[in-house]
Amino acid sequence: MIKYLLRQALSWLIRIFLAVNLTFFIATWFLNPASNYAERRPPLSPAQIQAMLKPWNLSTDVPLLSRWWTWLSGILFHWNWGNSPVGASVNVQVGFRVMVSAQLMLGATLVAFVIGIALGVYSASRQYKVSDRVVQFISIIGLNTSVVVVSLFVVLVAVQINRAVGTRIFYVTGASSTGVTGVWNILVDKAQHLILPSICLVFITFASYAMMQRMLLLDNIAADYVRLARSKGLRAPVAIRRHALRTSMIPVMVQLAYSLPGVFTGAAITENIFAWNGMGKYFVDTIYKNDIYGAVAVAAFASLMTGIGAMLSDVFVVFLDPRVRVS
Amino acid sequence: MTALAIDGTTPGPAVTAPPEKAQAGSSRMRLYVRRFLRNKPAVGGLVGFVLLVAFALAGGAATTWHYTDIDLLALTAPPGGTHIFGTNNVGGDIYAQVVHGLGRTLIIALSVSAVTLVIAAFLGGLAAYVGGKPQTVILGIINFLLACPAFLMMAIVAQKTGGNWVMLIVVLTLFGWMIMARVVWQMSTSIREREYVWAARYMGVPGPMVVLRHIVPNIGSLLVVQFILGIVSTVIQETALSFLGFGIKIPDVSLGSLLTNGQQTLATMPWAFYFPAGTLTLLTISVALMADGIRDALDPNSAAGGRA
Repeated sequence: MIKYLLRQALSWLIRIFLAVNLTFFIATWFLNPASNYAERRPPLSPAQIQAMLKPWNLSTDVPLLSRWWTWLSGILFHWNWGNSPVGASVNVQVGFRVMVSAQLMLGATLVAFVIGIALGVYSASRQYKVSDRVVQFISIIGLNTSVVVVSLFVVLVAVQINRAVGTRIFYVTGASSTGVTGVWNILVDKAQHLILPSICLVFITFASYAMMQRMLLLDNIAADYVRLARSKGLRAPVAIRRHALRTSMIPVMVQLAYSLPGVFTGAAITENIFAWNGMGKYFVDTIYKNDIYGAVAVAAFASLMTGIGAMLSDVFVVFLDPRVRVS
Repeated sequence: MTALAIDGTTPGPAVTAPPEKAQAGSSRMRLYVRRFLRNKPAVGGLVGFVLLVAFALAGGAATTWHYTDIDLLALTAPPGGTHIFGTNNVGGDIYAQVVHGLGRTLIIALSVSAVTLVIAAFLGGLAAYVGGKPQTVILGIINFLLACPAFLMMAIVAQKTGGNWVMLIVVLTLFGWMIMARVVWQMSTSIREREYVWAARYMGVPGPMVVLRHIVPNIGSLLVVQFILGIVSTVIQETALSFLGFGIKIPDVSLGSLLTNGQQTLATMPWAFYFPAGTLTLLTISVALMADGIRDALDPNSAAGGRA
């Protein structure tokens, strides 16, 4: 079992490595750091621009493969992810942003997963009743609404609530306020900032879990082994929880792994709307500023998140599925 | 749809007479239509989608404004008067922009979904049918690309192409076909092992014929549903890209770039947000409901479409 998980982890590391390298070549091909200097007054000659980019390993005078090796060896041997076209270290930029995004993405994913499973079980055990229909209806809306619309709508509502109450309950910009002291105050302040973007991300992700869980549980409730458990005298909720739910949760776990790229896209949008200084905002900034190494670092972060999601779902599957545990 | 009319059990070519075949096709079609019409939300979705397409095609006739016009006498005008949906902060007519933006978003979504479907059906079907080494290679590529941050790569490439909608179609297709290919592959492998496929093979039906006659008709319904669901996911991705400023850019508009405009003036003039957002949500939800209804109508095992 440990061997299986290690093998999975290794294959993910290889995939992340390849993905990051592919992004390096795509970014080098399509982003042009020299254009940042095009509007300088007085105008700079192309040779001058290249000379300015050279110390940051961005000069096109240096052969592509040589630049690639400088970049890769920097990461592998010195954990140095390169510099932006104006020389800011990517390590520093990413360092404080990673935690901001990771807590938003992983927190929202976890909450969405728990809510999704709970709603799936709830509506499956009330099939075709009003409550089931309502859950289904909300799920369809959540699954098919653009995160842009959800986020802007949440901002509108939050502003209205703030206005109606007269104090600022929800913050629509930033990840935290400056100058807050005391453990309790910091926690409250964090929650006030975190809640809105989290609601947006949860709303667009919970529905796929809820609908999948409902469908799978309905298949399993009708299965022979659940009927056997009921006929032995187990009450329906216990039979569902111990027998039907356990098996039907496995595919939902697998789904978790493949949902993280979508969460990353969602986080990119919400961070821009709520002005969070996380990886999602950095992602947009780096592309606008032709910051090749910054964009590559964002790619590494996104694939790492996908890999972590996949590994988490593997661990859960091992835990839930005896067939995987034994072989 | 015609592919579905081919009788899956017909072993050789040209055994059934053409008129019989046509009749079987039309009655099966009638069956699908009947099953679809029983599903009220799906019918609602279809009506919504048709209305939105009509709105995108003919909605421009209801106003004298063009989406690039700027009315300097009516900056930030609320809805009403000659500006049906009002104007934005620079005096652009929001109604004309929504009509054009919806059309732009629709044409991108339909093209991307269609091309993606062809690529996915070809690669997914090929991998499942040939098996062995090619299958390992294709699946390896798909799994690797699924680990790549596709949205980031789309943004990098789309940013360079500077708001050209044709290039946006290429970019969205290039980085977006993997999930559909995986679904097609999964479905085809399960059909490859079915008894009727084995029977056809043992009877000496050549490989391409087996794919065409027995595998494609049986995943045909899946392909139709995938095509429609692809529209929803493309609309959402395109609006996200355009919203961040990497997709459609001024002077062209899409629903995503209209939302960027709406965000800037969210508190002061919410109508610049309401109308594009409402249109977008109506579009994605009605298409999704339609896809649901078609899936149930085409699936003989589904009880949702009622009996027969």
